[in-house]
Amino acid sequence: MIKYILAALMLGGVAGYLDANWATVVNSVWVSDYLLNASLILLLFVMGVAFAMDKDSISKIRRTGPRILIVPLAIALGTILSGVVSALILGINVVATTAVSAGYGWYTLTGPLVSQVFGAKWEALGFAANFLRELLTILTVSLMVKVDKYAPTASGGATAMDTTLPTIVRYCGDDTLITAFASGFVLSIIAPFTIMAIASLGHVPIPLFL
Amino acid sequence: MSENNEFCIACRSIGSGMFLGYFLREKRKVNLGKATFGIILVLMFSLGFGIGSNGELLNSLPDVGLSAAVIASIAIAFSVMFVKAVKRSAGLE
Repeated sequence: MIKYILAALMLGGVAGYLDANWATVVNSVWVSDYLLNASLILLLFVMGVAFAMDKDSISKIRRTGPRILIVPLAIALGTILSGVVSALILGINVVATTAVSAGYGWYTLTGPLVSQVFGAKWEALGFAANFLRELLTILTVSLMVKVDKYAPTASGGATAMDTTLPTIVRYCGDDTLITAFASGFVLSIIAPFTIMAIASLGHVPIPLFL
Repeated sequence: MSENNEFCIACRSIGSGMFLGYFLREKRKVNLGKATFGIILVLMFSLGFGIGSNGELLNSLPDVGLSAAVIASIAIAFSVMFVKAVKRSAGLE
């Protein structure tokens, strides 16, 4: 199954590249925005139908209740800590790297936000690191589900509420829909705040700067 | 679909799907697997298209690609570890 997903992703990549650099057949916005959003809306709808038709998934959510919020908070904490570790490994600015990580995969938000505080160089990193998080989640979902049923949800971060949600549900089961969606939703809400809160530490002098 | 104002669109799509699914529950089983997978492929194609046509992203990859890959991989690893650790307290089996 994953090979079809990868083939579609690569085919799209090649088509997009050729369209932008060789001959413009379609306005790229039509595919990368309109078609993307239309398929996403349709998928979310269909996944909602499948979820509600399964009596077990609803009773599972009832049992879990608000405790489900522990998941996105754990992801947020893990991700923020990972930013510090990454910065130490790469030998780059700890605060900026942690702010980049705190986008939880939401690349269109993180790039512009970190660039406001740390400059254009960090915009590219904020964009690429979060975009790779989304891509890696899709590419490794079949492996990650073997580690843990909720590992792809953790990996997807904020994108678990939209772009990576279909793949996550496909591999982890219909009952993961609400956990993944709720987790992605909470992370998307807190992403701008955590990025800015961490970025504001940038004004604190050493030892936070390397 | 990662813009603030599109939050509600995502919630509305999933919510109306769940509303419909709830009423379809007693009806005979509808198999949505194939349709879903077809749309996933369209979604993946458009995601790929967005990346391929984004010259800015592609040009920045040689400079920041390695650091970005390290940041993303460690973020994924830590998130997975943390979720595994709290899974039981979150009531997930």
